[in-house]
Amino acid sequence: MSEAVLTRRSRASHVVGQNIGLILAGSILLLAILVYIGVYLIQLHRLPGNFAVTSTVNSAMPLIFATVGQSFVVLTKGIDLSVGGVVDLSNAMAAVTMRNSPGSMALWSVAILLVGAACGLLNGLLVGLGRLQPIVVTLGTLSIFQGLAIRVLPQPGGAIPPGYTNLLVNPNHPYALIYVALLALAWMGFRRTRPGVDLYAIGNDEAASRSLRINVLRTKIIAYVLDGVLGAAAGLLLAANATAGDATTGNGYTLTSIVAAVLGGISLFGGRGSAVGAICGAFITTLIVNILFFSHVDPLFQSFYEGLFLLIAVVAGGVIGGTIRRRR
Amino acid sequence: MKRWLALSQDWRRVGYAVIAAILLFVLGQAVHPGFLRLNSVATVLVISSFVGLVAAGQCFVILIGGIDLSVPWVLNAAAIMLTVTSLGQEGRAPWAILVTLGLGVLIGAVNGFGVAFLGVPAVVMTLAMDGIMEGLTLGLTGGFTCGACSSYAPPVVQAMAHGASLGFPNALWLWLAVILLVSGALTLTRFGRATYAIGNNPLAAFLAGVSVPGITILLYAASGFFSALAGIMLVGFGGQASLGMGEPYLFQSIAAVVIGGVSILGGRGYYLGAAAGAVSLTVLVSVLLALDMPDYFRSILYGVVILALLLLYGREETG
Repeated sequence: MSEAVLTRRSRASHVVGQNIGLILAGSILLLAILVYIGVYLIQLHRLPGNFAVTSTVNSAMPLIFATVGQSFVVLTKGIDLSVGGVVDLSNAMAAVTMRNSPGSMALWSVAILLVGAACGLLNGLLVGLGRLQPIVVTLGTLSIFQGLAIRVLPQPGGAIPPGYTNLLVNPNHPYALIYVALLALAWMGFRRTRPGVDLYAIGNDEAASRSLRINVLRTKIIAYVLDGVLGAAAGLLLAANATAGDATTGNGYTLTSIVAAVLGGISLFGGRGSAVGAICGAFITTLIVNILFFSHVDPLFQSFYEGLFLLIAVVAGGVIGGTIRRRR
Repeated sequence: MKRWLALSQDWRRVGYAVIAAILLFVLGQAVHPGFLRLNSVATVLVISSFVGLVAAGQCFVILIGGIDLSVPWVLNAAAIMLTVTSLGQEGRAPWAILVTLGLGVLIGAVNGFGVAFLGVPAVVMTLAMDGIMEGLTLGLTGGFTCGACSSYAPPVVQAMAHGASLGFPNALWLWLAVILLVSGALTLTRFGRATYAIGNNPLAAFLAGVSVPGITILLYAASGFFSALAGIMLVGFGGQASLGMGEPYLFQSIAAVVIGGVSILGGRGYYLGAAAGAVSLTVLVSVLLALDMPDYFRSILYGVVILALLLLYGREETG
């Protein structure tokens, strides 16, 4: 081992090295916000006001929750293709059941989150106990959850009480950011608990974690259950945004949550990344859509640019991250 | 019995996939008499062949621990490319087919380049490519409103999907050739051994002198080729291209490969199993359709059966 490796590095350099993914995600987010403001300024000749900020935040909300859910599973080196199905199911159930009374809203919200937990539990049991690969398990359960969602709400419709919408995604002020802050805080707490530490251990080296007596099965089940709960929360937020239900609009969240997680610096190879990064990633993904909208790009070409930006961000992030790691 | 047990676990899984396909056919006959009539079996097999073609490419990339999520819009773009370049004319068909297959190979090679040289995870690379192809397809055809977009597939392409030679559907001749070719390439050639080597341990393969980036690009290019080929066959089968026609083939191709006993982690499995998996899935869908079930129940049962098959024989060894 060379002299250079043994010398103590400054604390700052250590922090940068440990959180390189998060720093990159934050930088991309900052860049996206600046471009968004720039495009907005050029097209509308004023800064984005309360309305623009509120609608951006509200439209990002479901994706934020779905992405943080996805992150738990990706951290264990898994992947959840069924999250879109959970969003569908929760969205459909909310539209069918919710009545305009505080009791009904609270009761059904809890019930729907529990259904999400049950979906996650099924995934977790099949992956952990069934020893099946996450990608194929969630491929199968996606089909099941989508079927259930269509059974609950065959045609788009139903209604979400306005009070519920005001509470979750207030259309006048970006109050929804409070939930984002709570989610980030909850994550920081969880990260320091036993299952939170085990999550990273499993993602980095499952065999080694097993030999260290980490309960792999329990940790995986916790990850999938939390993923299910957050997927269901995403469905509730989506329903609150749309003030009605649709059993198919959630499908897109499977792939976008993976995109957002990757943009947020969460490694698909497991064990690297944080929910704060995932939140950044979800905002970046939403901002890209808004930037494309305001720059009057032909909507037909929208997915072309989204794909291109994803590639550029990942390649650039890989190059920059690699360079910084090597220089340390 | 001894000999059967002596088969490697990978070949046993292929056997299970074939048995599952046969059992599903028998189940179909039980719930819907006439299901096993020759022409009905032939139709099911022809429809399986489309999934089977995509699964050939998917199998290639999954064998090296990759995945191709760009299938839907590569297939869709290929289908539209064929009709737009051929305009339904017989004379233009040969080069239209060449251009279309070339497009598939090119896109696949770009995927492989991103994975091999830029270090982008396969999921991200091919997902981004799917978006890029979707945007290009929609944008360049003006949202599928172009005059040439509604052209039909040339008669020769339609005959490839519908016609029969020597009493056997052309689509199945094609699939049979693909099965022989892909299986031969994987089990008998250097290229095949290199593929399995990369799937088992890329570093060891590299140290053993395998050109890992070269093979990776080749495999993704092959996946693009097979997506394009499936697009051509589908447009021949349906007569015209349509938007979203590639959508079902992504998850079906992955499911077929996995049900066929190929490890999603790479390095293990055979295309023959994936082909049997494609048949199983198509028979399952046909049986569920024949039972005249509501959509939602079909979707649920589809997921349950896939999971049940995997639990029966797709489990990993205890770690």
